[in-house]
Amino acid sequence: PKITYNFLFKFLVIGSAGTGKSCLLHQFIENKFKQDSNHTIGVEFGSRVVNVGGKTVKLQIWDTAGQERFRSVTRSYYRGAAGALLVYDITSRETYNALTNWLTDARTLASPNIVIILCGNKKDLDADREVTFLEASRFAQENELMFLETSALTGENVEEAFLKCARTILNKIESGELDPERMGSGIQYGDASLRQLRQPRGSAAQTKQQCNC
Amino acid sequence: MRTAVCSVEHHDGGRLPEKHEPHFISRLRVAHPLIINAHAFAVLFIVSGVFSKCPAFSTEELRKLSWSGIPRQVRPITWKLLSGYLPANAERRESTLQRKRQEYFGFIEQYYDSRNDEHHQDTYRQIHIDIPRMSPESLVLQPGVTEIFERILFIWAIRHPASGYVQGINDLVTPFFVVYVFEYIEEEVENFDVSSLREEALRNIEADSFWCMSKLLDGIQDNYTFAQPGIQRKVKALEELVSRIDETVHRHMQQFEVEYLQFAFRWMNNLLMRELPLRCTIRLWDTYQAEPEGFSHFHLYVCAAFLVHWRKEVLEEKDFQGLMILLQNLPTMHWGNEEVSVLLAEAYRLKFAFADAPNHYKR
Repeated sequence: PKITYNFLFKFLVIGSAGTGKSCLLHQFIENKFKQDSNHTIGVEFGSRVVNVGGKTVKLQIWDTAGQERFRSVTRSYYRGAAGALLVYDITSRETYNALTNWLTDARTLASPNIVIILCGNKKDLDADREVTFLEASRFAQENELMFLETSALTGENVEEAFLKCARTILNKIESGELDPERMGSGIQYGDASLRQLRQPRGSAAQTKQQCNC
Repeated sequence: MRTAVCSVEHHDGGRLPEKHEPHFISRLRVAHPLIINAHAFAVLFIVSGVFSKCPAFSTEELRKLSWSGIPRQVRPITWKLLSGYLPANAERRESTLQRKRQEYFGFIEQYYDSRNDEHHQDTYRQIHIDIPRMSPESLVLQPGVTEIFERILFIWAIRHPASGYVQGINDLVTPFFVVYVFEYIEEEVENFDVSSLREEALRNIEADSFWCMSKLLDGIQDNYTFAQPGIQRKVKALEELVSRIDETVHRHMQQFEVEYLQFAFRWMNNLLMRELPLRCTIRLWDTYQAEPEGFSHFHLYVCAAFLVHWRKEVLEEKDFQGLMILLQNLPTMHWGNEEVSVLLAEAYRLKFAFADAPNHYKR
């Protein structure tokens, strides 16, 4: 049976090579750590349906290669993304220093309204830490990003990162700050919402009914 | 087979006038590359001692024989000949090998210490983090092998600054390395312990792998230079080709807004190595090296045949997600020579139908 959903959000996972982007995605989708994760070539795709604030949201996630040479390909995925996980490795200062470049890319190429959450991955390797929580938190605040430290290995904060990003987008839709119908918003109405849209603008109660059917 | 041996001897004795019998093997009725029997090929090579007795055999004949698969026993030397690493003239082979191996280790002496220099450290760092996450079938996770791959890739990268090291190139070392390792052992064993080889053998394998990989990359440089134009062009060509040979599949992809670049980028960047088991890649490369422009051009037809091979599964998927997930994880785990042969035969047919008439695959 087809799962109906209210919204479809397009997500992007970006950041330097070897920070654990594919492992985060794998942990989110399969609920386990990917032991033998080869580096990503170009872009890989994953998808999962989640419940956020009473709405069913289908996440279409593009996991991008971190290496510079693939930027010409990965950049074409920025346009039309509603949300992004920007990943660095807490044990590698280099991947943290590259964040500004990644952010510039995302803000120029994606929709100006893109919701970005900064993920300091490999939280489990605290002994090798090169980037403190506080400095990353400051960076996030100064750049209007949400922020979490995550571990694709243990699963800590992985689901939270995706959900937090989705919830923020949903709030912005509801407040009218984001218009799903704008071209390249990275948001689509799902079948559940479409039925509802054809009727005159419905109440919250009506939406609930649609979800339970 | 006797005839084959005789004809080689005749040729060696110079009794056949060159202009009437320029290719001694044509006597074996090597009419079509698909008909040759691999066993016959092995016997021919080993029994007739082609490599020692016939100093300048025809590379063309070797290509024809190799097209449908090279027997394991003669694969290392055949690959080295086909790639142009070894000269056809047998008398020059040993000295060429020596010179090339020395030259490679000269590069190491000259450049390898610079891996931590400021302008090379990014390259080295990237290689260094990529090697441990390669597939275990590349043997790269064994002690000592990691360093070999690092040296090969680093030297190649800094000598080719317009592309540098691009992820995916590391995979291209594997088939050479694995094939050349088996030159030094009798039996093919799963997870052979590479460190049991003598140091000299390992050095030879390293240098030979470096040079053969370099030859391969020479033919597909635009896959890895800025913006990867070779890949972009080939993915476009793939789309046009598929739209001509299987309109149903093509329309199905269009209907669900699947773009060819989304799945075929990797097919081109890694020469299908991420989609097939290593044994299949090695078999595929027998043909790629036998085929003129195998890696750069014939590969396109193989990709088209590969996609159409999954038409039933593709048509069963009725949404974007399903299609993308399928196309990224095509179930080839059990594939062997037979599946690859069918794929290659189909690709050959496509090439024959479309190669000389590029406008045929333009709509």
